[in-house]
Amino acid sequence: MKIAVMQFPGTNCEYECLVSVKEVGMDGELFRWNRPAAELSAFDGFIVPGGWSYADRIRAGAIASKEPVMDALREEAAKDKPIIGICNGFQILVESGLLPGTTGNGKVEMALAQNVMISDKKIVRRGYYVDWVNIKHDASPRRCSGSFNLNRGDLLQIPIAHGEGNLVTMEKSLIQKLNDEGQVVFRYCDCNGRTTPEFPVNVNGSTENIAGICNPEGNVLGMMPHPERAFFAWQLPSHDPRKHQKGAVGPGRKIFESMKRYIEVTA
Amino acid sequence: MSRINLRVWLIIPDAEAATVKNTLIRRMGYGDILADVKKERLFSIDVDSGDPQELAKVFAKELVNENKENYKASFDGIKFEAGYVPVKVALKIEDGEAISIMYRLRNRLGFQNVKVVEKATVWKLYLKGENPEKAAKEIAEGLLINPNKDSYEILGKESLVRVVAAVK
Repeated sequence: MKIAVMQFPGTNCEYECLVSVKEVGMDGELFRWNRPAAELSAFDGFIVPGGWSYADRIRAGAIASKEPVMDALREEAAKDKPIIGICNGFQILVESGLLPGTTGNGKVEMALAQNVMISDKKIVRRGYYVDWVNIKHDASPRRCSGSFNLNRGDLLQIPIAHGEGNLVTMEKSLIQKLNDEGQVVFRYCDCNGRTTPEFPVNVNGSTENIAGICNPEGNVLGMMPHPERAFFAWQLPSHDPRKHQKGAVGPGRKIFESMKRYIEVTA
Repeated sequence: MSRINLRVWLIIPDAEAATVKNTLIRRMGYGDILADVKKERLFSIDVDSGDPQELAKVFAKELVNENKENYKASFDGIKFEAGYVPVKVALKIEDGEAISIMYRLRNRLGFQNVKVVEKATVWKLYLKGENPEKAAKEIAEGLLINPNKDSYEILGKESLVRVVAAVK
């Protein structure tokens, strides 16, 4: 079970993703964007990590989405192999048309626009934001490769770090379609799972608090929070009692365990 | 009401324009027709009083970093030079940076005569071939915008007024 962790110029946290992959018992290696794209077919799953690919030139994910390696990734997605895009990886998957992928023709159906934090109907903040956030798993179990082991309503506390995570779309029926088809995987919520639209619960102004979505088949997941930064208990914030608890693990581990389980079940 | 247009460009190498050019040539097949790509930021500021020429100089001090940028001011319309197709890209969702600039000019610097601030990027596509505007449209839709948040206009060479194609 071998996972390719994609690496574009400007990617970060790829090493954390690789460690996470190996910690849950999968094999993995970094896959640089300029390697022969056909070599991707030797892998069982893929992670597109976060960062600033190509320095976010034009807009986040736009340049990386044009790389030949993304055409190869599209072919691998069609084979039902799991792909998890994290933060900038999510942005790349959106710009390449892999997510939400409801038309099946690679059309760019949504954008992850600049953060707009709204409270009491006023814009209170804009731009890059870093924090630990609560997200709720809003899909059914086994719906999506990256949340395969999660139940509906499960809460995870995972950090975010982005300036462009505000999901917007001009496709009028898209959000309804995503809801109807169970493609909304994660929503920003408070510590009790309530999804109020206001900052700081909705950290970036994203439509319907959406933090992560999958494609119709469920094998491709994009999420703005960084599970690899919450994989080990020692990565948790100091106020979290699990941080110093013996044997505790971080909530982000579940994303990688889910990917492994998805591959086991679908192989 | 007068409109002050500030066209701002880098006098140091523009890495973003270079990346766009490389992507169009190496990844998107425009090597035969694309000679160069340059980029300008465009600030359009509506004022209801004051001398636009003097205001343009003051606003430029706020919006232009003369250590790395240069600018040209024009009023009401804009004349673009020959040799390229200007493609104006702007957010069609709320533009937080433009709003912040307006608040800065009005509330922190005291220019209550500022009524509207709009911000855009003008991509200058140096295209060869018989139908450069058609190629520019393809490039805009293929790379320069995400239609879910951006709009674009292919501007006439002579004036902002003549709009050849637009996506709203």
